[in-house]
Amino acid sequence: MAEIIIDDKKFEFEEVGKVLQFILDNGMDLPFFCYHPSLSIPANCRQCFIEAGQMVKDRESGEYELDEDGNPVIRWFPKLMTACSLDMADGMVIKTHVTSEKVKVAQADTLELILINHPLDCPICDQAGECPLQIQTYKYGPEGSRFEHKKVHKPKRIQLGPRVILDAERCINCTRCVRFTDEVSKTHQLSIVSRGDKNYPITAEGQVFDDPYSLNTVDICPVGALTSADFRFKARVWEMNQTPSIDVTNGKGVNIDLWTRDNLVMRITPRFNKEVNDHWMPDIGREAYRLFNENRVSKPIIKLDGDQVRSSWNNAFMTVSEKISSVKSDEILLIGSPYASLEDNYAFQNWFNRLGVSDVYFTPHIEKGYGDDLLLVDDHAPNTNGCKALGFKEVDAKKMAKLLSDESYKAVFILGDDLLSRVDIDDSALESKYLVSFATNHTETTKKSDLVIPITSSAEHIGSYINVDERIQRTIPAKETMYTNRKLDLEMSMGRLDHFGTKFDNWVSDKNRVDCIPAWEVLVRIGNEMNLEFNFASPQDVLEDITDKIPALENVSYDRMDKENGIALKLSAPKSVTT
Amino acid sequence: MSKEYTFDKDDLKKIEEIKSRYPEVTPAVMPVLWLAQDKFGHVEPAVQKLVADTLGLPQAHVQGVASFYTQYYKKEKGKFVLDVCTSFSCQICGGYEILDHLENKLGIKAGETTEDGMFSIQSVECLGACGYAPMLQVTNDKYVNNLTTEKVDSLIENLKQGKMPEFESIPMPQHETES
Ligand code: SF4
Ligand code: FES
Repeated sequence: MAEIIIDDKKFEFEEVGKVLQFILDNGMDLPFFCYHPSLSIPANCRQCFIEAGQMVKDRESGEYELDEDGNPVIRWFPKLMTACSLDMADGMVIKTHVTSEKVKVAQADTLELILINHPLDCPICDQAGECPLQIQTYKYGPEGSRFEHKKVHKPKRIQLGPRVILDAERCINCTRCVRFTDEVSKTHQLSIVSRGDKNYPITAEGQVFDDPYSLNTVDICPVGALTSADFRFKARVWEMNQTPSIDVTNGKGVNIDLWTRDNLVMRITPRFNKEVNDHWMPDIGREAYRLFNENRVSKPIIKLDGDQVRSSWNNAFMTVSEKISSVKSDEILLIGSPYASLEDNYAFQNWFNRLGVSDVYFTPHIEKGYGDDLLLVDDHAPNTNGCKALGFKEVDAKKMAKLLSDESYKAVFILGDDLLSRVDIDDSALESKYLVSFATNHTETTKKSDLVIPITSSAEHIGSYINVDERIQRTIPAKETMYTNRKLDLEMSMGRLDHFGTKFDNWVSDKNRVDCIPAWEVLVRIGNEMNLEFNFASPQDVLEDITDKIPALENVSYDRMDKENGIALKLSAPKSVTT
Repeated sequence: MSKEYTFDKDDLKKIEEIKSRYPEVTPAVMPVLWLAQDKFGHVEPAVQKLVADTLGLPQAHVQGVASFYTQYYKKEKGKFVLDVCTSFSCQICGGYEILDHLENKLGIKAGETTEDGMFSIQSVECLGACGYAPMLQVTNDKYVNNLTTEKVDSLIENLKQGKMPEFESIPMPQHETES
């Protein structure tokens, strides 16, 4: 097998890649700025310098030539090479800063040059704490600077577009943002203007940076030159917890990270998944953080004489059990949700099955033409395929309206979905029915409901979602509810503030916990009330039951989903091949 | 407020000819910007947009190219643009004195244009004529070399009468001794 020697250590490799990527893949460190694994390689920052050489082979014997001391003879490249653009080769020898003084000096010198006109305003810069420039400078930079003259000034606080703000002085002209709009989103909206120490990226005069993927440039900008108009100055990186999750605002199931502080989701960033979204996500998906924080249903709500008032959980549970006992099973209409997790949908179905109600209906939320060629699909909901896998009856909005106005139904249960905003139905048609909705947020649907049971959102529970490509992926709780505690729940992440914060800190309070319970657990508790044999103890339990019963989901587990970055399922029978 | 710019049939023909010289469209940006500047006297953003649209390229890209070169005028300029070199060689031979003299004489600063629209001054980097420093260039064209304040004065007088300086062939000292 081909061999490469890096800092006196031998590595074997099969596929010829770039030296920098190989170094990173093997857990070693090398500073760099302009390189990005999903973009073209311009090699313009010169931060990834290494010494590279080739062991000399004797042409006849095919053996490596040795010098007098028995060491292989190495033919070195005359100058330092950029590791990001250098192809690996058999018999290549690489020296990084670990073994080469020359590389060490070059790294410090390059940083000194990059920093000549950099404002060094880390204390007020959003990027501080997650800034490659800051990190590399700490690790590999010079002690000070020999450039003690006035810095070149460039435009600051430029609103490039609705979501992105530019501080040109911080920019190191790595062109990552430009390459992103050229190669990934293909809007070609950015370009570097001017030259020398005056250059920076900007849109063409009069053009707005309204690229629907514009916020990805903020993520990949290796400095604080591009910042998010929305997130700017809201939180420091080290105050937040980072929790892996799944985007629930689109059927694509983009992998994301939820960044929380004091149980508020502060921002959403994409998480790498080669099979789904690479390093990217659409701007619109990041807006979802509001759904987790704002307008939440906290504590059950019950309609008394036409007014919706808050009620206790016990009262809510009793109301449900009384209602159910007062109607016949064929008078109950069940509506599952492409927005709810597989576990919640299954528990909903299973619980009512025990009461003799077998059919669960659902209406997908599909908007023809909404999708694009990149990461948005026409399906707005994250789990349409989950509903299908459970055998729910798919009906369109018209049929759903018909079902809802069917006089024979006396009680309607709607799971986690603002169904009524996409189904055209008269209020009067609902009047004769008792409407119970399990909801995360206040919506059109909850407004019309007789009883609203607050359930956890994807930011608060473990839940699996099957995306449009039949990939099952899961969420991990990022926000505490009134009834969960990150210190006790080993799945939840603990940030600095969770470890060390006290009630006297600015950002520690109990205010942002929502009084809600996972839907499956609500059903367990109501089941207890009604002496139903329905005893799940955890979402894990629910999932195991699902995987036992549905062949397409066999062997699916959270463990596998985590390790394999989601699992590709085969839900639909393979299409018959016509020859 | 912003003017409408268009290429006529002849221009488009020339542009087609330019495009046919290269395997891709991008290299045509520079000569087409040049053509546009010859026609309109500048390549302000509206002209850049015209170039971009004509070539089917992103406007941002064309702006990037146009802004890289000082020779492309991104704003409307005077009839004569005086590019005074203030790079190293000219600087030590009095480039800044020449610039100063010009600024005082025309009553404008580098980067500005006289009210009558006759002259613009720019301070530019090396124009590759270090041997005849200090020097300036008139509207991306003729070089005026070995400048003195008197030479500048007569240049301005001549330009006012529409007389462009002549091309000046200056032999290098080593060649002089040879002959
Ligand atoms: S704004 Fe950021 S990503 Fe864009 S060129 Fe500058 S440093 Fe690079
Ligand atoms: S990473 Fe920028 S030159 Fe290699």
